[in-house]
Amino acid sequence: MQGGTRKKFVQLARCANTLMAFDITLRMFRYRPGQAAHFETYAVTVPDAANVLDAIEQVWDKHDRDLMFRHACHHASCGTCAVRVNGREVLPCIAPVKNYLDGAKALTIEPLRNFSMVGDLLVDVAPLLQRQETAGLVITRPVENHLDGKPIASAQGLDPESVETVPFNRFEDCIECGICLSACPTMAASTKFFGPAGLAALKSQLDKTTDPTERARLLDLADDEQGVWRCHSAWECTETCPQNVRPAEAIMALRQAILARKFGFGK
Amino acid sequence: MSAPHVLIIGAGSTGSATAHDLALRGLRVTVVERGEIASGTTGRNHCLLHSGGRYCVNDQEGAIECIEENLILRRIMPHALEMNDGLFVALDDEDYAFKEKFLAGCAACHIPAREIPVQQALQIEPFLNPQIKAAVQVPDGVFEPWRFCTSFLATAKKNGATIRNFTQVNDLVFQGRAVAGAQVFDHRTGKTEIIGADLVVNATGAWAGMLAAMAKVDVPVAPTAGVMVAIGKRFNNMVVNRMHLPHDGDIVVPIRNTSIIGTTSWRVTKPDAIEIPQDQIDKMMQAGQLLMPILKAGVQRGVMAVARPLIASANVDARDFSRTFEAFNHRKQSGVAGLITISGGKTTTARGMAEKVSDVVCAELGVSAECKTKTTPLISYRDFYV
Repeated sequence: MQGGTRKKFVQLARCANTLMAFDITLRMFRYRPGQAAHFETYAVTVPDAANVLDAIEQVWDKHDRDLMFRHACHHASCGTCAVRVNGREVLPCIAPVKNYLDGAKALTIEPLRNFSMVGDLLVDVAPLLQRQETAGLVITRPVENHLDGKPIASAQGLDPESVETVPFNRFEDCIECGICLSACPTMAASTKFFGPAGLAALKSQLDKTTDPTERARLLDLADDEQGVWRCHSAWECTETCPQNVRPAEAIMALRQAILARKFGFGK
Repeated sequence: MSAPHVLIIGAGSTGSATAHDLALRGLRVTVVERGEIASGTTGRNHCLLHSGGRYCVNDQEGAIECIEENLILRRIMPHALEMNDGLFVALDDEDYAFKEKFLAGCAACHIPAREIPVQQALQIEPFLNPQIKAAVQVPDGVFEPWRFCTSFLATAKKNGATIRNFTQVNDLVFQGRAVAGAQVFDHRTGKTEIIGADLVVNATGAWAGMLAAMAKVDVPVAPTAGVMVAIGKRFNNMVVNRMHLPHDGDIVVPIRNTSIIGTTSWRVTKPDAIEIPQDQIDKMMQAGQLLMPILKAGVQRGVMAVARPLIASANVDARDFSRTFEAFNHRKQSGVAGLITISGGKTTTARGMAEKVSDVVCAELGVSAECKTKTTPLISYRDFYV
């Protein structure tokens, strides 16, 4: 080991000693097909800055490698890790453990509702992703013309000799995490419901296209008894969405667009 | 006679791209992954689609691989990329003096680069440090790691591959000394079974040494951790890099509605569940603010650390390990047939790594089939769930 690296190790070790850490208890939902679902309790120690996903990963790493949970990006972009913590849908990758430490230092971790259970925290997200695909939502879109309130200039118009410049694009806000479907009381009543994420996808795609055939296809999908008309306006989707997608508002806007089409106004 | 069967262990970027490559070449492919797709190193990624600019001075081999693969990925998965280029900015006189080397490095590696007047750079990226002395634009980009992998896997699946996540390899199985498959545990069913294979590809990245040890062979993989801090707002459209040799906290990658500051580099012995030292997080925040002072006002949204599977070299500091990749044919190296390890590299070069290891696989199996992944567009990642 080189001198510089060893020095870094020593510094890290010293730093680790002075770090704040929490002892917490996780009550985890455990399930396998054909077996009774139950909770198991695990004690873990996590650093001050830990998010709930770090605590779940600690359970897997230190206690039970048979624990099934989904995770990939750890920064709210992939959408795989969504669960319920103390009954509420969250992305555990961005939920600080310390936010849950009032009183009893126990967190209850359960899978999302309104999906088929596969095992432990793992649910079958196929119906969600298939509906998103039906909606045909392209996952990138043009960026806003500002960043945090400041106007931006386009890189277009610069000397085009060396680098090809296209208009800035960015990924859609929706990360297809399934939180809105889990929180939605209508979804609980009918799994055939197109669902808040799917309807929000229809609205986003509608905003991107001027093609009349595609617009008609999108509005036809929304204008269905299992589409926008099934929604009871509980607004849980907008309340729980970690990405501020506002599916409920999208559903209301789709209803307006459908009525406008029906009665031939608002073009 | 049916096509040979290849078992790929690991569904990060390398395993996923290899599954796609071999399925396109007509082989029978099974992928096993112990957890979710991209739940290892690929997931906790900086999400930077490298132009190669970062390595064009000190690791030109790695830089050339990056720009070649960058241009290919733009063709085969355009729907899964933010293609906004990147800016390398000089913050002080030392950075400014590095500019000529940087531009020469870009030219040597055929990375398109153009200098942008500082005033114009500040109009395009209003949250850059206004003190910057120079700005150079290169074709960096951003990918989303889970969808990157599932795009490859969805396409592989369409071409006949079997993808089994939540399936852990307990051990390899042998015929004599040769690897002939793996004993796996399926977490869904709780059952242990044997998957036989004509060849096993070890695509476990930072875990490659642990898998290779099951066959009592060595791979020189050095798990090298890095910390990234995600800030809950997007303050830039182009990737912002500091114009100097790669260093801690010298890059801010925008993705979706966040900005990710990265990264550090230190050797770890165990790649699972790496604990993140607070001083590394503080270091990221401080260094990131030099590039973009606004980051100070941002809310930390997530912090992640993971081990990169770099190829170790003797007497070289972890930061300076090459970002290139290597396929190890263990029959030639240690007399253990039936096992090939692919490691090193980075997500940007995953397709190229897959091509290289697939060439080795096909040569080993006596299959003559051309690689077609350079020109085959990938289908929607959502079709992974069809």
